[in-house]
Amino acid sequence: MKKIFTILLATIFAFNAQAQISDTDKNLIDATNKGWQFRLGAGYLLGGTAPLPIPVEIRGIEGFNPGLNISIEGSIQKNICDSDFGVQLGLRFDTKGMTTDANTKNYYMVMKADEAELSGSWTGKVKTHVSNTYVSVPVLATYSIGKRWTVSAGAYWSYLLKGTFNGEAYDGYLREGDPTGPKTEVTSAQYDFSDDLRNNYWGIQAGGEYKIYSHLAAFVNLQWGMSGIFPEDYTCIPFALKPIYATFGFNYIF
Amino acid sequence: MTLFSVTSCIQDEAPNAECDIVSVDTTQTWFRNNKDILTGELKVNNNEVIFKVKKGVDFNAIEINHDSIISSFFLTPGARIEIYNGNDTEKKGIKIDNNGIHLWYTVYAEDGVWSKDYDVMFIKMPVLDIDHVFSFENFETDKFTNWYEINKDGLRSDIWSNGNAGYKMVAGNKPASEYPTATYDKGFSGDCVKLTTCSTGTLGSMTKMPIAAGSIFIGEFDDKNAMKDKEKATHFGLQIIPEGCRPVALKGYYRYTPGETFTDKNKQPVEGMRDECSIYAVLFEIDPNNFIPLNGSNITSSDRIVLMADLKNGGEPEDWTEFNIPFEPMNGKEFDYEKLANNEYVITIVASSSKNGAFFEGAVGSTLLIDELKIEWEKE
Repeated sequence: MKKIFTILLATIFAFNAQAQISDTDKNLIDATNKGWQFRLGAGYLLGGTAPLPIPVEIRGIEGFNPGLNISIEGSIQKNICDSDFGVQLGLRFDTKGMTTDANTKNYYMVMKADEAELSGSWTGKVKTHVSNTYVSVPVLATYSIGKRWTVSAGAYWSYLLKGTFNGEAYDGYLREGDPTGPKTEVTSAQYDFSDDLRNNYWGIQAGGEYKIYSHLAAFVNLQWGMSGIFPEDYTCIPFALKPIYATFGFNYIF
Repeated sequence: MTLFSVTSCIQDEAPNAECDIVSVDTTQTWFRNNKDILTGELKVNNNEVIFKVKKGVDFNAIEINHDSIISSFFLTPGARIEIYNGNDTEKKGIKIDNNGIHLWYTVYAEDGVWSKDYDVMFIKMPVLDIDHVFSFENFETDKFTNWYEINKDGLRSDIWSNGNAGYKMVAGNKPASEYPTATYDKGFSGDCVKLTTCSTGTLGSMTKMPIAAGSIFIGEFDDKNAMKDKEKATHFGLQIIPEGCRPVALKGYYRYTPGETFTDKNKQPVEGMRDECSIYAVLFEIDPNNFIPLNGSNITSSDRIVLMADLKNGGEPEDWTEFNIPFEPMNGKEFDYEKLANNEYVITIVASSSKNGAFFEGAVGSTLLIDELKIEWEKE
């Protein structure tokens, strides 16, 4: 992840350095005149990777830490035929993460490890730590309102670069099979499903941008995952966990 | 803000799906009235409630009043209990067999979906015959094997327990022969018990229980706590000492091969350490009205121990080897026949393929075979 940021920062500096050269300036002005707009932005993501609606098995959320999730995105936008409508194509690196502490009751799960398989209903606490870094391609429709506002909506496709999904089931008991099965008290069981994360998913997003200065804009968008972060037939977690995150940040408009 | 909105999405709690007899309320009238005829450890497991009846008590003396028995059970909140009313004739009415009385009840969960039948039993644990040999020919195998004894009157007593119920959680589809405690047909005479220290794989590591030593002992295994507090899940000792008898020696045959790599509780190899087996018998004091067994944390160290026979330095005999270990007095205590008559003594025999298996130290593959165990008694 660090590496990606370094490369991106290096690119920004290189871009700025080149901007001194009049040729590039000229090219940008030419492009702008033809209706193209280039953006480079950075933002902070806040949200959760959660089942929605929250299933009845989750009885309470006792702790939530959004973590430090950063997004960096470059995009090109073009208005169509001098209208207020346009299209935008981007390339984004972001991390969607969180840590939660939940109380569960009769939470059905299957754990597979080696040849052993443990299935049953878990009643107790579950700590979950998620931190997934994706490279994403958003394709959006844009609409400009006046000189300062642009709203956008569309879909994005994400590819997982690095995923972490682990945690602990603690202070509870597992009932083998169904709620009448033999009970086993558990003080603490660590789990790590990082290797089972699916490597791509898609979602929809909508947002708005407000131009503060001619080259600087503040933006906010909401990204709503349409597919879960685990394969559909995944049994360790009985419901689809979908990333739902809001990003707040600033864009530099060239 | 986000937290608030997430929390507000929590749905109303579903009606309880569990239907357990959680425990017995010992303050209730029924229990108090019958306290004097009961002894030993009161056991409530997933489908049974087991009351042990004192020696010499007539089963007819037990007050069978369903309403008052039912009222002494703590149930899962929202659940209700009724006398069994299904179609299984085995569970209908009051069943009396050689070992005791069985009453069947059904507990219905609050959600109206789940229910569970309970066998509430009053059993007598026969004392050992003075010449009894534990030859391990009597066993039942379902997912894993359990052993029992038959006395000279043909009464069965389930005195042996083992840790297999804990291993079951991580065993997947392994056959009973690959469990840590298994039967083996090449005994010293007929079948014997084979104790093997096994790896518990990834699931075991997740709960920081990387190995499971094979073990067998006289007492009860608390399945519920097998993964929580394994040391305390082993409840040693039963009131089965023959009348007017003092144990003198523990005898038997064994073979032992330690596993190759000794590992610590984090499954890290320990250089220069070699696994050892353990075979011992302990006689200790108990309050017959408040039965508190010894467990893995204090079975060899408790100040309640009166006599102990311990095979120290068992070595690594490849072939069947006889042992004959005398019971030695412990804690400066003297065996008291009066205490024995008052049900104040219990005895256990314990064998394990890894001496420190309770602390998850040992070598995967360590194998202990035991057969034809016998306690030598001395009559008063």
